[in-house]
Order: sequence, then structure tokens, then C-alpha cells
Amino acid sequence: MSAVLLTAPQQMQPLALEFVVPVVSGLIQGSVYGLLGLGLVLLYKSGRIFNFAQAEIGTFSALFAAFADQGTGPFPDLPVPVAILIGLLTGVGLGLLVERVVIRPLFSAPKVTVVVATAGVLLLLVALGGFLSGPEPRSAVQIFEGDFLETSSLRVTDTGALVVVVLAVLAVLSALFFSRTRTGTAIIAVSQEPTATRLVGISVERTSALTWGIAGLLGAIAGILLSGTVGVVFPGSLTFIALVPAFTAAVLGGVTALPGAFVGGVVVGMIESFAQTNIPKDVLPGSGKVVLFVALLAVLLLRPAGLLGKET
Amino acid sequence: MSLLEVEELRTGYGALPVLQGISFNVEEGQTAVIFGLNGAGKTTTVNCLAGVLPTWSGEVRFDGKRISGKDAPGIVKAGIALSPEGRRVWPGLSVLKNLELGAWVRKDQKAIGETVEQVFGYFPRLEERKDQMAGTLSGGEQQMLAIGRAIMCKPRLLMIDEASLGLSPKLAQTVFQVVSQINDDGTTVIIVEQNVGVLPYADQALIMEKGALTFDGRGEELERSGELRKTYLGEAAAE
Ligand SMILES: Nc1ncnc2c1ncn2[C@@H]1O[C@H](COP(=O)(O)OP(=O)(O)O)[C@@H](O)[C@H]1O
Ligand SMILES: [Mg+2]
Repeated sequence: MSAVLLTAPQQMQPLALEFVVPVVSGLIQGSVYGLLGLGLVLLYKSGRIFNFAQAEIGTFSALFAAFADQGTGPFPDLPVPVAILIGLLTGVGLGLLVERVVIRPLFSAPKVTVVVATAGVLLLLVALGGFLSGPEPRSAVQIFEGDFLETSSLRVTDTGALVVVVLAVLAVLSALFFSRTRTGTAIIAVSQEPTATRLVGISVERTSALTWGIAGLLGAIAGILLSGTVGVVFPGSLTFIALVPAFTAAVLGGVTALPGAFVGGVVVGMIESFAQTNIPKDVLPGSGKVVLFVALLAVLLLRPAGLLGKET
Repeated sequence: MSLLEVEELRTGYGALPVLQGISFNVEEGQTAVIFGLNGAGKTTTVNCLAGVLPTWSGEVRFDGKRISGKDAPGIVKAGIALSPEGRRVWPGLSVLKNLELGAWVRKDQKAIGETVEQVFGYFPRLEERKDQMAGTLSGGEQQMLAIGRAIMCKPRLLMIDEASLGLSPKLAQTVFQVVSQINDDGTTVIIVEQNVGVLPYADQALIMEKGALTFDGRGEELERSGELRKTYLGEAAAE
């Protein structure tokens, strides 16, 4: 991942090397996880569904944005903002499509069936992505090309900084959406008691479509930003890189608490980057992911409601 | 013309028919009580009227207009509210939020505060607990909340399924008295009950058995005919 680069480790103060770099890199990486986690939390909160396809909706959105950016397939060569808009619409469209074709027919099915169905959607999307884009990585759309911060020891790209800001803003906005708006309350109402919700005149179907549309949008934002920090996108890429950490972030933050996805994401990013910096590769290869799994297990055992979650 | 006209209503679950074509009318301003043993089809009836269950055949008219075939939101908008069996409040939302959601279809959102006050007038207990999560209320309080929520949309017809189930006889009487007050304030009421304690409040009494109506008459008539009482309510009354 190239969002944060160590430029000249030899010249650095040991303290800076050990703390500042992993903190900054963990913050950025964690924000990406948090962004993806936000969509997971939204769907869990609204329907008790863990959506295996969430990251891949992001991949698809990033792929379509890249198509439009490069003028591939049906697209002419379009300017970056238009390409990004196409990516976002792809996410919304996919969210709506999955809801209509998979979720709604399974309304009264056991949740486990629905979750397995989302895993099916994931596999389908990966296959379809391979068909449309081929297996080769494609360069992702870059919103910004510059550096936000560059010192002798640390480099933060503009995209990296943007990710942190976007996550913070979206976490706050979505929390406000649930606590302040009629539609947000309707989504919570459906999740707690669908029959009563119908009886007061709220359309459960429309609410479900809306929720998945928003989740698709959140997935698209996460996908476009994450592939921007990685530099490339290919079928399965975001699922591979970020689904498990995003899930960990969501669980850590308390799977129904939206600001929790932010906190959880940042904590996950930090744990991962501290482990990577401090545990040498020859001692424990892939230490970042291993430590993350340990942390996830610990949270599930010790505080299943997460850091900010409430048991409901 | 009656406020509610039900004609040869049939419905069921999947391929299983439950209502065998029932017909009855309810006059504006009255309280009708539907009695019947467990499994008689009372809940199926009110759920079908409320649009949560599809109508297979037959027709329902409300204020002269056909409403059968409308979905639940359409029925609420037409002016019929149901307080469903099993209470079904939103456990993770406050009492106040539960009430406010009841007014979802109202166009005059600014005025719902007045209706909240009215509900608190009927059920002072709810006002004391207005910021409490509904899931932490007692069974009786949840029943009050479910009824309160149903009147938040200012329905012309209020249906209550099993108002007294699981309540102490004293609490059940309190609930019946409030319902009678709601009725006096101008709302037509249908109550589904197994508790004969509601009989004094019934203008009209209906008895259901195996998906069909076996009695439709004045409340006093049913009260006088001890025979009916023994046949249809004996077991339920003893509970
Ligand atoms: N969800 C359902 N699926 C299948 N059958 C049902 C369902 N709900 C009720 N029934 C059946 O319909 C009949 C009437 O039930 P119901 O209307 O709940 O009776 P009541 O409210 O009078 O106790 C019963 O035989 C019951 O088993
Ligand atoms: Mg019943």
C-alpha cells in the first residue's frame, strides 16, 4: 500500500520510526477499513445481515470508474469527476439490484440464508468483473495526485488524507441520519419490528431498497478511495485486501454503532501497522493480519457488543 | 351505510384457507368485540383488514370505499389502525419515538405533539416513561403503548388484537376503560378478546369459530344468552 511511504528510515529518530509512522499509516489504512465497515454496519443495523459482497460492490464501482477514466469498453474517455460519478452510480445501482433480486425475495427466510446469498453475490461479482475487466490489475482513478505531507521520514498522499476526512464526515453524517431524520428512524424501525413498521404505514420494501442504495453508495466511496490509495483495482481486489479488516473494524466498533465503524477502523489500522512495523517478517510473516485476527477473537470473546455498541 | 362493511371475506396462509367467507358490518361510533377460542381466525381477520395479509376474495368497504386489496400503508392512510397481537412495539426506540412513528402517514406532522399529549392523557403511565426504551416496559405498559401508537394516526377505526392478553384482571379493566374513552371521543373500535370482562363495553358482539362467524348481535344479547357464553367463552373465561 502506497498511501504512506517511509522515505529514509536510516536517518530517522527511533521514536518517530516506532510511533509516528505506524500511527499515521494506521490512521489512513484504518479509515479505509472504516469506510467499508460503515456500509457493513448500515446493513447489519438495518437487517441483521452481514453482506459478503460489500467490498466487491466497491471493487465494481472502482472498476467502472477506471473504465470511464480510461475510455475502456462502452465508455468514451471521460474526465475524472465524471468517471467518479459513474463509479458512485455503479455502487448505488448494484446495491439496488442486489436488494431487488436477492434480499427482497428472501425477506422471510432465515438470516443465515440471506448471508450465504450475499456470499453468492460476491462470487458472481468477482466472475463478472473478470469477464468485463480481465484478470490484469487496472490503474485506479486518482482523485488527487499530490502529496498532502512530505517530510524526511513520512509521506502522506492527498488521497490518503482525503480518506481520513471522508470517513470522519460520513461517520458523523450517517449517525445524524439515523438519529435525526424520518427515513433513518424508519430504517431502524424496520430492523426492530417489521410488522409494526408496516402497520404505521411505512413501506418496508422502499425502506429496504433505500438502505441498500445507500450501502451501495458507501461501498462505492470506499472502493474508489481504497483503490486510489492502492493504485490499482482488479476483480476481487477490495474483498481480498479489506473485507476481513473492515469486518473486524465493524465488530470492534460495535456492529450497530455507526461512529463505531470509524473508531473500529482506526484501531484496526493501527493494530495492523504496529504489528507490521514491530514484528519482523522472519519471526511472523503477515504479522499485521495475524494480530488482527487475534484482536477480533479477543473482542468477540470479551466484549461482543464492541467498543461503542449496545446490546440490542 | 355502515362505516365498515365486510363481505364474503376469504384469506389464509400459503395454500391453507382460514377465513371461510365472513361478512359483518360495524357502525360508526360503536365498539365491536370479536370473541372466539384460540385458532378461531380472529387475528387473521384483523390482519387481513389491516392489509398485512392479502385478501383472497370478497370485498371490504370503509366509509363506502373499497379498501380490500390495499397494502398496510394504504389502509392506514384510509383511516384504519391496528394495535397488533403480541404488542410489537419497537424495543430499541423510546416510548416517545414509538408514538411519533405511529403518526408516520399524517400530513400535519407539526400537530402530532397534540396527539402525543392526548395519548398521555389516556395513559399517564406512558408520559412518566416517555424517554424509556419501549423494550424495558412491562407487558401492560407495552400494551398501552401499542394502543397509543395506533391512535397517533388519528384513525376513524381502531382495531386492537388481544388487548388484555397477559394482563392482570385489574390492568385489563383499566385498558378496557381507556378504550371505551377513546370510543367516546369519536373513534370506532374493534376489539379482539378472549376475556369476557370486555362485554360491558361492547355495543356489538361477534363470535368466531373455525374461520366463520357464529354470532353477530348486540352486546346485551350475547350477555343475556348464557348458553352462548358457556359454549363459546366457557374455557376462555376460566383462563
Ligand atoms: N402464520 C401462519 N401460518 C399458517 N397458519 C397460520 C398462521 N397464523 C395463523 N394460522 C392458522 O390460522 C388459524 C387462525 O389463527 P388466528 O387467526 O391466529 O386465530 P386467533 O387469533 O383466533 O387465535 C389457526 O388455525 C392457525 O393455526
Ligand atoms: Mg389471535
